[in-house]
Amino acid sequence: MEFSEHIKTSYVDNVVLSRPFRPPVKGTLCVTSHHLLLSSRQEREQDADLDPDEKDGDTLELLLLLKGIDAVEKRSTGSYGTITIKCKDLCIFQLEIPGMTECLNIASSIEALSALDSVTELYPFFYRPETMKIEKKIPEGSSEEFFGQIAHQADKWRLSSVNKDFSVCPTYPEAVIVPKQTSDEMLMAAAKFRQGGRFPVLSYYHKTTGKVIMRSSQPLVGAQKKRCQEDEELLGEVLNNSERGFIVDTRSAQLAQQARITGGGFESKSNYHNWKRLHRNMERGKNLQESLIKLVDACNDQTHNMDRWLSKLENSKWLSHVQSTLSTACLVAECVEREGCPVLVHGSDGTDTTLLVTSLAQLVLDPECRTLIGFQTLICREWIQAGHPFQQRCTHLALSHARLRNEAPIFLLFLDCCWQLHHQFPLAFQFSETLLIQLAQEAYFSNFGTFLCDTEKDRHAFQVKEKTFSFWDWMNNPAVLKTFTNPLYQRNELVIWPSVWPHSLHLWQGNHLKMGGVVINGLEFSPDEKKLAAARGHAGYKF
Amino acid sequence: MASASISALNSNSLENSSSKNVSRESLRMEPLTNIPYLPGEEKVTDKEIIYMCPFNGAVKGKVNITNYRLYFKSFEVDPNIILDVPLGVLSRIEKMGGASSRGENSYGLEITCKDMRSLRFALKQEGHSRRDIFDSLFKYAFPQSHNMPFFAFLSQEKFLENGWNVYSPINEYKRQGLPNEKWRITFVNEKYELCDTYPTILVVPFKASDEDLRRVAVFRSRGRIPVLSWIHPENQAVIMRCSQPLVGMSGKRNKDDEKYLDVIREANGQTAKLIIYDARPNVNAVANKATGGGYEGEDAYQNAELIFLDIHNIHVMRESLKKLKDIVYPNVEESHWLSSLESTHWLEHIKLVLSGAIQVADKISSGNSVVVHCSDGWDRTAQLTSLSMLMLDSYFRTIYGFEVLVQKEWISFGHKFSSRIGHGDKNHTDADRSPIFLQFIDCVWQMTKQFPTAFEFNEHFLITIVDHLYSCRFGTFLFNCESVRDTQEVKLKTPSLWSLINSNIEKYTNPFYTKDSSRVLYPVASMRHLDLWVNYYIRWNPRIRQQPQNLVEQRYMELLALRDQYLKKLEELQLSDSPRISNNSANSPVSPTQIVHQIQTQF
Repeated sequence: MEFSEHIKTSYVDNVVLSRPFRPPVKGTLCVTSHHLLLSSRQEREQDADLDPDEKDGDTLELLLLLKGIDAVEKRSTGSYGTITIKCKDLCIFQLEIPGMTECLNIASSIEALSALDSVTELYPFFYRPETMKIEKKIPEGSSEEFFGQIAHQADKWRLSSVNKDFSVCPTYPEAVIVPKQTSDEMLMAAAKFRQGGRFPVLSYYHKTTGKVIMRSSQPLVGAQKKRCQEDEELLGEVLNNSERGFIVDTRSAQLAQQARITGGGFESKSNYHNWKRLHRNMERGKNLQESLIKLVDACNDQTHNMDRWLSKLENSKWLSHVQSTLSTACLVAECVEREGCPVLVHGSDGTDTTLLVTSLAQLVLDPECRTLIGFQTLICREWIQAGHPFQQRCTHLALSHARLRNEAPIFLLFLDCCWQLHHQFPLAFQFSETLLIQLAQEAYFSNFGTFLCDTEKDRHAFQVKEKTFSFWDWMNNPAVLKTFTNPLYQRNELVIWPSVWPHSLHLWQGNHLKMGGVVINGLEFSPDEKKLAAARGHAGYKF
Repeated sequence: MASASISALNSNSLENSSSKNVSRESLRMEPLTNIPYLPGEEKVTDKEIIYMCPFNGAVKGKVNITNYRLYFKSFEVDPNIILDVPLGVLSRIEKMGGASSRGENSYGLEITCKDMRSLRFALKQEGHSRRDIFDSLFKYAFPQSHNMPFFAFLSQEKFLENGWNVYSPINEYKRQGLPNEKWRITFVNEKYELCDTYPTILVVPFKASDEDLRRVAVFRSRGRIPVLSWIHPENQAVIMRCSQPLVGMSGKRNKDDEKYLDVIREANGQTAKLIIYDARPNVNAVANKATGGGYEGEDAYQNAELIFLDIHNIHVMRESLKKLKDIVYPNVEESHWLSSLESTHWLEHIKLVLSGAIQVADKISSGNSVVVHCSDGWDRTAQLTSLSMLMLDSYFRTIYGFEVLVQKEWISFGHKFSSRIGHGDKNHTDADRSPIFLQFIDCVWQMTKQFPTAFEFNEHFLITIVDHLYSCRFGTFLFNCESVRDTQEVKLKTPSLWSLINSNIEKYTNPFYTKDSSRVLYPVASMRHLDLWVNYYIRWNPRIRQQPQNLVEQRYMELLALRDQYLKKLEELQLSDSPRISNNSANSPVSPTQIVHQIQTQF
């Protein structure tokens, strides 16, 4: 490995670490291929009551995955260099390093090693915890597994392996659930008519009404108003006789119209009988990323012109994105539950807002998704396997000055919406807020391979499942699971309709205000932090 | 029990679901079967009327007026609407429309309430149909303007507990370790001669004679001299409260006042500079000189440091709350909710009050005595002393302790409840009205949000207090000061709010409360960590998700009960199977009694 090429200075003594709300600590700073460490040595002999771990005098003050660093800023003050490190979990701290050369070397190492390009160079491929084993098993939340659960009821559906070897759609898993009457040939034809080959597949089967949520990408209608008979038939198969269905397009009607210029488009009424289109304008891509940047900016503003806090929060528009996401998800849930109609959801690519909507609708509708296991499988099925491009979307969070490429906090928005539901229905979820906060971090940097890569195809190619540990395996260890469990949980069989009025939506303080070190809301309920930190092993660090 | 809470969770907020929520609009003081008369409550009149519900449109029903309340019930079951409003809550009653005005439902009454809502009723335009009801409402809602007694004086309510016994100044000072060698109890104000708005029993420095006190009183606005509110049990630092010094334009000085403050400073032996917190903005303090007031000048008080806390006056607070009402009732301002909320400045005022109290608490913790005043020392001063005492002394975070705190710092020290609330007074534009006490309760709520296990009382307790601040069902908040209450014989002739609460204390208890003896609570007063108290200010809106906190409390109680059950079962099993268990008991690390937490439930 050529990691060592990036490390010109591997350690520096007498580095001072300054963190908010903590006294500065002096110690030895060390850069390894994947970590940044700082350990301090203190005279502590007189203090006999200390933990045995700390008695030997070395205290690990900081242990941080380099991948977790969003931005590095360097500044020189005389013979000292100061590095400000901004992390993807919104924490910020400073290192004061004696010697300019050392400072610059350390900074450039961090910059290089925190932005490794190749997946197999990332830490999950090196992480080898003693207590865990890599188990090669069917991933939780696979289509096969889900179909197994619904097969006895969903007799109009079948499991298709048309995408074996990812040949039809590179961003789908190998197995997909499709209408029984649809042949694999039809699917292949329909795939050609959908962006990225994402033909309509089953996302969720609602047992109480027997209705489904499907998802796809946009049809490639284009300026010439092309049609595809197989695609029309496929959707036709979903409807009984004269039944109505809804297509929820996550773009505004105008945007969908514009998409035709670049070859995309929408399902026209005349070609897709009995399907009614509903447009919802959801923010995506760059705008969403900018909204997060503004939000983080407002949350981190230490200069406090605090009387402007609420306007800043409003101007970030983050909460209105939360609102529109939740209401679109509720719209889908309403179609399925109240109207008793099947729904197809798509935007353009079908890998971002589409998944946001389908997964949240399931959380609203289905008590199973609100259990610990159900939530895991939901994320596996609707995010990881469904091909949300985690690697592209989660390269940087919001503190980096690097030019934005494909970053977008879609998954973070999903977690925020989950938190809003959790906040409004504090008993309905088996998992706790802590899990949501942990996931917000895992998606950006992790010891585990779970959120690596953009697609199942890539994960196969890099043998992610064979060579890395799974976050879910770690999480399901009873000692860890306890910290992610909501002690007040009471299974609620009903649909949970959230209020989306502005005064019902709150800033997710537990995650967004972590940075100042003053997470206060719910502090007293939070699980034993020491234990959690120990269970986290080397993944995180605590202020 | 379980299914009930599930259905409560599942009201749909996307659609108008108020039909299911029968009693959302009622105050929910008592379970409602028919008209819930209180002992001593008498019917005055009734009438068929149309309630112009902002959430359901026109609702036909019948309104009953008693000497205590307005009670409306709709004829229809769907939506079944009940309004149960104590007449004390009414602030303003206006006739709308005339006999000749056109348009459906344009003729009737418009009622503005003190608890954030407004009610509109429509009647048929014939034969002065509203006259009787208007006259009755006007008379019984504003008894003071009609030489009639408050309902509290007519009430025949009996309670298991007598709330008037909750606060005894002597006992409270004793609890604080007073008197001691530095501080004494004085009866100089026994006949309210020193200060008619102070209580009879005061704690002052041992070194200051009653004669000294009288001389100081001359130099303090309305004779409200610096007296002790709270003393730190260890470092003996004290919180003193008073009114502004009468410095005036000419910059008068008073040797006795200067000496008195220095005696206060010396008392705990480690205060180098006595910190004087003037709650007002600097400019206001200066402006007060024009009317004879002012602040402690540097030259005159060499061993003191004056700090202004920038909290605005009663008029600013009144306007701020008015703006808040505009954006939450009847409809919540949707499109620019956060910036509209910001423009009311309500949370900003909350922040300033809280951070002022934090500064006081911080100084006291570090052993430095402080004096707190504003202009008269009965509004902002009461907020600051009571909030800092809440931070410093965990006793005040219990239910009884909080009652003592309100009784002591607010009621006995002459917060002008009567003027600020306008009990039974028709003059709704009175400039003396201001939501100072509500603002204090809001600050307390913010603290309970930040420290969910530190307070023995729950949100319902706070809302109940605020509801009865207006209701006039209890004598607790009536009148401006102790001297008037004495002449009115309030304690003899009216029930106390604390009687109601203490007779049914479980209802107001926070199950998450854990006794944590001596911790000082420092809330975060940053705007980012302050929330609008939605469950109070927006509670009339059927679309808000009602109080998830209550559900959490209920669920927690259920789980505790369940645990108790299991423990009991375990014990029974152990008893019935004792020979085998006893073998193991020696090395079994956990016995059931060890598992039991300090919280016990009454089920």
